[in-house]
Amino acid sequence: MYKFLTGFMFWVSISIFFIGLSVRFILYFKGLDWRLDRVAYKSYPFYAIKGALKSILKWIIPFLTHGWRKQSCMTIAFFTFHIGAVIVPFFGLAHNVFIRSKIGVSFFPVTLNQITTDVLSWLVIIGAVMLTTRRLILPQAKILTKSSDYFILFLSVAPFITGLCARYEVGNYLFWLYLHIICGEALLIAAPFTKLSHIVLFFASRAQLGMDYGIKRGGMKSKKGINW
Amino acid sequence: MDSGKLCSKEPVKTKEQLRTLLKDTGGKLYYKQMQELKVDTDLLWQTIKTTLKSRIKTWLEICSGCGMCAESCFFYLANDKDPKQVPSYKTQSTLGEIVKRKGKVDNAFMRFAMDTAWGKCTYCNRCALYCPNGIDTGAMISYLRGVLYQQGFVPWEMKIGAGMHRIYYAQMDVTDEEFIETFEWIAEEYEEDYPNLKVPVDVKNADILYTINAREVKHYPEDLAYAAILFHLAGESWTVTSKGWEETSLAMFAGDWEACKIQVKQVYEAMERLKPKRMIGTECGHAHRATVIEGPYWMGRKDGKPPVESIHYVEWLAEALRTGKLKINPEKRIKTPVTIQDSCNYVRNGGLKDITREIIDYMVEPGYFVDMEPNGENNFCCGGGGGFNGIGLYRDWRNKGFTIKRDQIIKTGAKLVLTPCHNCWDAIRDLEEVFKIGINWSFLKPLLVNMVEIPESMKPKP
Amino acid sequence: MFKKILLATSAVHACDNAAKAAFRLADFANAHITVFHVAGIPPRGFSQEAIDVKTGAKVEISKEYTSWVKEEIKIYYERQLKKVKSFDIKIVAGMPYREILREVKDGTYDLVTLGGTSKEKFSAYQKHMIGSTILRVAQVANIPVMVLCRPSPSFLKNISGILFCTDFSKASDAAFDFTVNLANFLNCKLNIFNVVDISPVFSKAIINQEEIEEKMLEAYKNINAKYIQKDRNTIKASAHVCEGIPYVEIIKYAREKDFSLIVMAHHNKEDKGFGSNMEQIIIRSGSPVISLNR
Repeated sequence: MYKFLTGFMFWVSISIFFIGLSVRFILYFKGLDWRLDRVAYKSYPFYAIKGALKSILKWIIPFLTHGWRKQSCMTIAFFTFHIGAVIVPFFGLAHNVFIRSKIGVSFFPVTLNQITTDVLSWLVIIGAVMLTTRRLILPQAKILTKSSDYFILFLSVAPFITGLCARYEVGNYLFWLYLHIICGEALLIAAPFTKLSHIVLFFASRAQLGMDYGIKRGGMKSKKGINW
Repeated sequence: MDSGKLCSKEPVKTKEQLRTLLKDTGGKLYYKQMQELKVDTDLLWQTIKTTLKSRIKTWLEICSGCGMCAESCFFYLANDKDPKQVPSYKTQSTLGEIVKRKGKVDNAFMRFAMDTAWGKCTYCNRCALYCPNGIDTGAMISYLRGVLYQQGFVPWEMKIGAGMHRIYYAQMDVTDEEFIETFEWIAEEYEEDYPNLKVPVDVKNADILYTINAREVKHYPEDLAYAAILFHLAGESWTVTSKGWEETSLAMFAGDWEACKIQVKQVYEAMERLKPKRMIGTECGHAHRATVIEGPYWMGRKDGKPPVESIHYVEWLAEALRTGKLKINPEKRIKTPVTIQDSCNYVRNGGLKDITREIIDYMVEPGYFVDMEPNGENNFCCGGGGGFNGIGLYRDWRNKGFTIKRDQIIKTGAKLVLTPCHNCWDAIRDLEEVFKIGINWSFLKPLLVNMVEIPESMKPKP
Repeated sequence: MFKKILLATSAVHACDNAAKAAFRLADFANAHITVFHVAGIPPRGFSQEAIDVKTGAKVEISKEYTSWVKEEIKIYYERQLKKVKSFDIKIVAGMPYREILREVKDGTYDLVTLGGTSKEKFSAYQKHMIGSTILRVAQVANIPVMVLCRPSPSFLKNISGILFCTDFSKASDAAFDFTVNLANFLNCKLNIFNVVDISPVFSKAIINQEEIEEKMLEAYKNINAKYIQKDRNTIKASAHVCEGIPYVEIIKYAREKDFSLIVMAHHNKEDKGFGSNMEQIIIRSGSPVISLNR
């Protein structure tokens, strides 16, 4: 069982994840049409890159944009959730040990110690609870939320819950470990086909709008460009 | 379009059709017929398949439904935070639904989509600034309008407006002759005060080609005179064109992309014919957006630029004041509390907020200018953008939306609102009419004409 | 002299006096009269809606609406319309002063008549207008503008004489030719009148009597040279000069000597407030005031 999950399924899921997302990322940019979108993407590379980078960077830092500042609760929930969700899978101690056993080397020179990993994982769960509560309470979020959205949220937080259970050896360690691996792999497989594709498409879409504002909508007119 | 049929998929192409449509007061019969209008679902799906590509497709898909766009929308705020006014909901429940159902939607759905596209969004694009995923709901609504227009589900006034562009190459029934005649007539009226005030028509290689909004010809010729006076006093070599003088595009608001192209082609041809150094458009927001920002793409210009450098009136004004071509008599500077309505079309979507502030520095006595909160690219739409001002069907919705702008203005304590945009000007005027908050509003030109110093050599001889 | 007269009216009582005068003149000159009504001030944006000037209600300028307004006007002026040679009624939408100017710009009319500053409720729109309709029209119209705000029994009964007010400007000189023709046409006396302005605002200081008298003498000489001599053969004109505040003296003199018509040039455009003088005369005069500006 363990062998199957960490062998065949590992390779399958990780391939689907990386290949799938890369395909989506590439297809996104290939699908951009300067005439339909009415943005001269290729004519002004400097403004395109500047606009895209600014649009991404400002939004991945908490409280840097008007949007983040305006809704601080959401911002806290969002970053509480996402920081851990992005860092733990890559830098978690156990994951690194596992990766080294798989391919012989660890990609990442830095690994988190156990306490940081724990804290970040808890933060992910807290963040997820906040995000879920928000969707249940706020009418403006509720109206936009479908059951699949809750499912996605659950899918993304499940590996962390099971992971922590395994870590604290609640009941049967192996049970939680297997469940953890299954949940993780499910997440990897689902990513390219669901809203989880925002893992890459967030950057793509932000880059596009950044280019739009950077090239067409005033980016070349005012020195500072759009004030996100 | 046969004569009895007012509401159809066909655009208005002849004067006869236009007249018939105009005769239908308030579009009563038009909207009645709309209830019977069949949706061509095959065409709809075909259109979606060929034009809804990467960008919008992804937007529809990755919207996480976080609702962060809600508070950015003045309709949402003005309508007691009605969740149905959340920008994302407006696209998901219309365009999203069309995609989901593969175009198999019915008449009632299309009319609901029309109400949403024209009655609940002015595509001011403010929400685009507040979406973490970089989703521009305004751009999607604009796309949706195109889809709806193709199927004939478009407000009466918009159908007429787009038709005007197809027939008169102007947003109103103003012919080329009427334009020139009116411009010359009005300049003549002011010639006594400004000797040698002329309207140069079709002059080649001038420094400036001036384009306008047809409304000025029809209802406010003074504005033309002021433009002429200011160019005259600044000593500019300028000209107007006898063809392609209209900068605006109601076709853009209507989603009639073909008419957009027809309209902007006229202007670009004028540019190519007269070869001016620059084109300057009047104090109009959507005109700038249509002819300068979006127009090049409708015409398939790869560099996204019009044939000659094209700027907004405020850019010229700032430059003229900066370089001293126009000098303001310091005693005549504005000394009442004053604020400015940033036009979405050239501030948020054109990057000109600093330019208008620079003009204010010259025009307003220090201490009298109060900015709205929020302002610049974060300012709210005046409440009348995107064609909203003209549509009778949604008048009540629009007036409700005004409350946000009204409160913003009241908070500044300003008695005068500068509105260098036709739509904003109209909206603020209507706002005052509805709520009577005791404000005045004005374009920049009429104020400037009374403020600038007239060089000795240009004064009338006694 | 007058073949076609434009009567700009909103068919309300405020316009009655002017209307009466216009019809009287049309009758006298056997002229065609065009009753011109600006039905609504401008459409909202590019929509078809306008504000009715009379009721303040929002209306759609449609064919039905204009024909209804036409009917109303016909009924309002029924008695007078019967008397004139021919007439037509025009309804347009727009800013009143602008549409009047647009209508007369081609020179098909010989005179435009305007009435009454109705100080009724002003909409937000009107508030924004620069100056009132009358002032702007009088300022720039290319044909004579006749304004009457108060009842003028003398004009309606028997046109006894014309008071021509001059300040010896070029515009005044040009207006004189028109006045001579008018006097001949109406077969009435003509008086050329000048006021030596001694109001402190204009003369800036108190002037001594010698200086005033000197100025008055000069004015007499001027009148004689400029007008009387010139038209010795065509008209018998008298002259009068006095000192004072122009508009007061003009109104007073016209009343005392029973002049049923005042003609003056309106040229002083530098003065954007449009001079207290012309404005005051229009509001106060009991006789129609014809103003010319070119």
